Formats: sequence, structure tokens, C-alpha cells
Amino acid sequence: MAIEQMKCIRLCGLKKDRKKILEWLQLRGDVEVMKPALHEDSIFKEGNPGLEGQRSTFSQNIKYAYDALKILDAETSVKKSPFSSLDGKKEATAKQYESFSAKHDRTVETAKRIKFLEDETAQANADILKIEVQLEALKPWFTLDVPLNFQGTKSTAAFIGTVPNQWTYEEVTALLAQNAPQGGPAEAEIISSSPEQTCIFVLCEKKHRAEVEKALIAGGFSRPSIHSEKPPKEQSSVLEKEISAKKDFILNKKSAICECAKFRSDLEFLADYDSMRYEKYGVITRLMQGKRTFFLFGYIPAGKAASFEQELSHKFDAAVEFDDPPKQEEPPVLLKNNNFASPMEDVLEAFSLPGVGEIDPSAIMAVFYYFLFGMMLGDAAYGIIMMAITAVLLHKHKHMAETMQRTLRMFFFCGISTTFWGFMFGSFFGDAVGVISKTFFNSNVALPPIWFEPINKPMKLLVFCFLVGLIHLFTGLGINFYQSWKAKKYKDAIYDVVFWYMLVGGLVVLLLSIKGMTGTFGISFTLPSSVGNAAGWIAAIGAVGIVLTGGRSSRNPFKRFLKGLYSLYNITGYLSDVLSYSRLLALGLATSVIASVVNKMAAMAGGKISGFIGVIVFIVIFLVGHTMNILINMLGAYVHTNRLQYVEFFGKFYSGGGEKFTPFSADCSTKYYQFKEERKL
Amino acid sequence: MNIFNNLGIVFALLGAVLAALMPGIASAKGVGAAGQAAAGVVTDDPAKFGKVLVLQLLPGTQGIYGLLIAFITLSQIGIMGGSATTISAVKGLLYLCSCLPMAIVGYKSALDQAKASISSIGLVAKRPDQFGKAMIFPAMVETYAILALLVSILSVGGVGNLHV
Repeated sequence: MAIEQMKCIRLCGLKKDRKKILEWLQLRGDVEVMKPALHEDSIFKEGNPGLEGQRSTFSQNIKYAYDALKILDAETSVKKSPFSSLDGKKEATAKQYESFSAKHDRTVETAKRIKFLEDETAQANADILKIEVQLEALKPWFTLDVPLNFQGTKSTAAFIGTVPNQWTYEEVTALLAQNAPQGGPAEAEIISSSPEQTCIFVLCEKKHRAEVEKALIAGGFSRPSIHSEKPPKEQSSVLEKEISAKKDFILNKKSAICECAKFRSDLEFLADYDSMRYEKYGVITRLMQGKRTFFLFGYIPAGKAASFEQELSHKFDAAVEFDDPPKQEEPPVLLKNNNFASPMEDVLEAFSLPGVGEIDPSAIMAVFYYFLFGMMLGDAAYGIIMMAITAVLLHKHKHMAETMQRTLRMFFFCGISTTFWGFMFGSFFGDAVGVISKTFFNSNVALPPIWFEPINKPMKLLVFCFLVGLIHLFTGLGINFYQSWKAKKYKDAIYDVVFWYMLVGGLVVLLLSIKGMTGTFGISFTLPSSVGNAAGWIAAIGAVGIVLTGGRSSRNPFKRFLKGLYSLYNITGYLSDVLSYSRLLALGLATSVIASVVNKMAAMAGGKISGFIGVIVFIVIFLVGHTMNILINMLGAYVHTNRLQYVEFFGKFYSGGGEKFTPFSADCSTKYYQFKEERKL
Repeated sequence: MNIFNNLGIVFALLGAVLAALMPGIASAKGVGAAGQAAAGVVTDDPAKFGKVLVLQLLPGTQGIYGLLIAFITLSQIGIMGGSATTISAVKGLLYLCSCLPMAIVGYKSALDQAKASISSIGLVAKRPDQFGKAMIFPAMVETYAILALLVSILSVGGVGNLHV
């Protein structure tokens, strides 16, 4: 439970070592490089002109590599298990990194070649489509035994073309006779006809050519849009040959792509290698550089400073200095927690990282998070399933990405809590134990709750939820007190926290001493009225304190008093905050009641059919129903646990606003490989 | 008057059915609308599927709460499971009243939560890192469905113990 202490680091090295030092820094990955707060002078200049060109080459290479990998993935259908995304990055060494520079250019060429091959196949595919369109257009002309561009013989003129709609031979000759009475003898032939168009062939004497053409055009005649030197049938077989040639070409290119699959790991390395170089060149622009030396400024976690200095001075001729960050500056935030609390770092980050003077609440959050989640899901079997799945995944995929690991660990702990509450409330797949024993074994075995069944005593659980809420809220207030106290704002600690403790706590105790109240909520005890009186006084003192101090930011006494009254009005906020915890009851009931509905449906369907089939029907309904229920209610529990943390809990002490510590590290830029050196550190 | 007295079970069933019907309809509408928005985001970036799915499902819980109340009522009045007992008209009406908070608040809150969900889906599309906050906005609306659910649970349970 801590925010890592940060040190400012100032490193001065020789320019000839710059590359080596930066590479070493990148593999260690524990320095965040900042832009220097110094001004340029005649000796030291910021950045390095001309690096942008290099960077854009790198990003071009990265794109080539990713494109090539994508093409490889599509062409060589490598079977990936659905959990392969959990495998995490492969391990690599600094040696591999250094030796890759020899392979670098060759791999870029490979990537480009794969891209080129892919482009060629795409082009061939487009060509095939075009040819197919031509083939389709040739089909109506298959019975024609002259080429489509046949104009006629020495003394005849031929018209080959289409007329709209369906025509018969008689209609065509009638058209000619009507519109070209002087047209002389003409021969017409219907090549093919369909409701949309009719393909015709008309032959006439050459001298009547113009007249016949006119007649035909009057009938809507038009020449075909495709041309062929050969009769359509022959032409189509030529085109078909072309298609099969193109198909062979594509197969060839694809097998060439598949042959490149052996370079897959090289391509992955290329992507990572150039991503790292891209990042490195970005860092160079943040250095102060002279003629022979360079300066680097940044932050480093205090715990790593000593080993950093030792290794640096051992490896390079460079000087390094560490400093506490100046007061006015906000160092970046790096959280450090044990396995139990670290999953909360992501939940916290989704809200906002701790700002100035705020503590890292992960550890306290973790306890409440798992507790609340468990109450909302509250089924032992669901909890056991969650634990089993997450444990198996965590065990099988040791190298998975850290955020994934944390998420799974979070659900593992939530699973433990869910199991616990499931047994407390006697819920194991809802009331499955009782239903199964009654349906199939005719006995009355049931899983008794360790504590009580919420559906029978909802009031009791509701009171318990309020109690949990009160503890959660008061813990938040307690952290507020701690933060104010640490910042030496003793007055704020008393005014903003202690008075509220007195008021809210006093009112709760007061309520507990009123018989009508305890009766309504089904609380078995009532506090003696003397205690109630005392609590009332404490609450009153708290209230007065709040009215007097709530408006202390204003100088005007009247305004101050009004503001104080207004801050007393916040008591309604506490009321709604506490009521908000009733969702623990509602969501907990939702899980167990829907589970019971599933069981009842399964029993009704499966119990009516006797024998083996009945059991199968029962199992199917049971599995489908409970899978749905566990997913939907896990979602609900997850969302509402977050809400209770973000809104109710954080509302009492936390506003966040910290910047995340993002070190200059290989791990931040790579996608496929992780360097061993880094893992060790 | 006699007929009125026999209507007890009808009133009770009406309540149960309304509790399932109204939030169910609204949830279906809400999840549907949010689904359209989510599908739009996924066309652009399939990697956001998990996040927008969570947001899409948020207005769906009201339907489940409605089912919950319907189920508790059905088993209380003996239509599901046990043997149907005679229920007085007063008791039937009490059941009906008990179901109303869930039916009405469930209906309205699911529709409004869907609007918040859709906006949050838009937020995640532009700023995926703000998922934690995006999730909270629709969840705020759900609070009122949960409060209604609570009142309905408590009153259905309470009516069952009354002798009227």
C-alpha cells in the first residue's frame, strides 16, 4: 500500500555512449525521461534536428511489419487456442536485440515482399472478376458462329446487336418490312432471347445497309458493348483459360507468401525492434545536447536509484545525480502493492491516480471490494467456478500481460468472497441441492445456511447492509482524517471529519435507542435511553461544530453562517450514501432468486420426464440457465462494486488527479517480445 | 361483491405480470438501442467489444429485477410451485400495489439508463481509457431501479405475512 517514492535523476554522459546508454535505459525501463526545464544556451541545445525523418522511417517499417504479419495470419491459418491472447509476450534477450540489427534490413525487405505478393494477388483477383463479367456478357451469343465484330462479306452487311424486350422472328422481319420497305431482301436470326433483351443477327445487301440500319435503330437496336475477334464460344474458352491462368498465378503467389511464414518471428521482432527505436529517438529529442556530452532529466523510483547508479558507473563513463523532487512539482505516480491489493491499482487508475497529498487507498479498497462483490454475487457454487477458472488460467499462462493477470487475480479473490457469502446465505447454485434431492432422490436434503437465508429475513440483511455501508463510509472519512493530519491541517481534520463522525455516529446510536425504530428494522436490542440521550448530545455538538466551521472559507460572518448551515445539509448526502448500500441486498437476492427460478424450471421440465432423458433435460436447462445467471450477475456485481467505491467511498476523501509514471521502457513499446533483462529487474 | 372477492388472485397475478412486463419491455428497448450504438463503435474498432458490451447490458438489469419480483410474487400466491390458496381481494390488491414500484420505476429507469449508456458508449469510443467513469454514469440511474426493487421485495414479503 504505497505510492513509490520518486527521485529526480540527472544523468550526464558522453555523446559517443549515447546510443548504448539509451538502449541500456530502455531495457532497464525504470526512468521516465522528462523535457528539461532548462533553457537552451550557446552550448547545449534541446533535441536533435533531422531525427523526425528517421522516426518516420521506423514507423513506416513498423507498419510494413504489422501488415505483413496480418497477411501471414490470413494466408496461413495457424490454429490459435481461444486463450492464446493470455500467453503474453515471448522472452527475448539483449543479445538478440543487438544481433537483430544484422537481420533488420533483410526483414524489412521480407515484409515489403509479402505486401507486394499480396498486392499482386489482389490485382489478379480483380482481373478475374473483370473477365467473369465479360464471360457473363458473352453467354447470350454462344450460338453465333461469327465474331461479334463481324461486319458482313463483300456484298452483304451484317448487324449484330440487341433489341430491348422479347422479340420473335416474325416481329423482327415485320419491323424490317415496315421501316425499310426499300431495304431489299434481308435475313434475320434470333440468337437468343430473354424478357429483357433479344440478341439478333441481321444480314442484308450492302447497298441497303443505311436503310436497314435506320429500321433497326427504330426498333431500339444497339450493338453489344463487348467485342470479340473470335466467335463468342471460342472467345469464352479463351477467357476461361485466362481465368485459370490467373488462378494458378494467385496460388503461386499465395504459396510464396506461405513460404515467408518461417520469417514470422523475425517480422514480429522487427515490429518490436523499430517500435523501440522509434521510442528511443523520441527520447533523444528530450535530451540537452552539447558537442560531446548530453544531459538527461527525469524521474526514477527511489528504490531503484542505488542499483541504477552502480550499474551505470560500472558500464559507462557517465555521471548521475539523484534529488528529491522539488516541492512545487508533482512527480509521476507509481503504485506498489502486494498481490492481494495490486488488482485495485487498475480500478483506481480507471478513476484517477492519487493526487498531491493523497495516499494510495488500494489495500483498503481491496478488502472492501472483495467483500462487497462477494455479498452481491453471494453464491458458493458461482464463487467456486470463478476461483477455479481464474486459478487455472493464471497457472497455465504464466507470462500473460500484467494487467490481465491482475484482473484475473481480482476475480479470484472476489470468488473466494463469493463462496464465503454463498455458504453464509445457504446458496449453492441457488437452492440446487434441495431441488435435486427432491426431484431425483425424493429426499429432503438441503444446504442449510451458516447464517440465515436472505429471502426469509430481508430486513435483517438490509440492516446488515447499512452497517457495512456505515463502516465503509467511516473508513473513507478516517482516511480523510489521516490525510489532513499528515498534511498538518489539524483543524481540517477535526472540522471535516471528527464533527461528522460525531453527528452521523451520534444519530445512528440515537436511532438505536428508539424502540419504534429498532422494531421496524427488526433489531433485537434497543439501547437504553440514557445512551441515546448522550448520543443525541454528541450529535448536537457535531452539528453545531459543522455549522460554525463549514463555511470557514468565507470571511463575511453572515455568509459564513449560511455556508455552515448548507454544509450541515450534507447530512442528506450521508443518508443517501447509506441507503445506496441496499443494492448489496437487492443484487444478492437477484442472484439467488434467479438461480432458484432456473432450478425450478429445470426440475419442472426434467422431473416430469422419467428416467435418463429427464436427467439430461434437467442438466441442459441447469447449465444454460446458470451460465446466463452467473454472467449477468457478475456484471452487475462488478459495476455496482465499482460504483460503491467510486461514488460513496471516494466521495469521502479522494479526488485523484495524479499523472501516471510511464518509464522509458522496452515493455511499453513492444508487442511480441519482452526482454529478460527487464523481467529480472 | 362476491365476484370482487374472488378476484384476489387475479389482482395478485396482474401485479406479478406487470412487474415482469413493463421493465422487460423497457430493458429490451434500452439494450436494443444501446446495442446499435455499440455495434457502431465495434465497426470502427473491434477491440472495444468487451467494453461496449458491458455498457450495452447495463439497461438490461431492470428486466431481471422485474422477473425477480414476478417470481417472488408468483411463488407467494402459490401459482408457481405450491398449491394455489384462496387470496382475498384486499390481499390481491396489496400484492398489485407492491409490484407497482418495480413495474413503473423499472420501466422508466431502464429507458433513461439506456440514454446514459449510449452516451457512455460514445465516450468509450473516443476515450477508451475513461471506461471506469463511463460505466458509472448509467449505474447512477440504476440506483433508483434498485431502490424500487427493494421496496417491492420488502412489501411483497410483508404482504405475504399479513392476515387480511
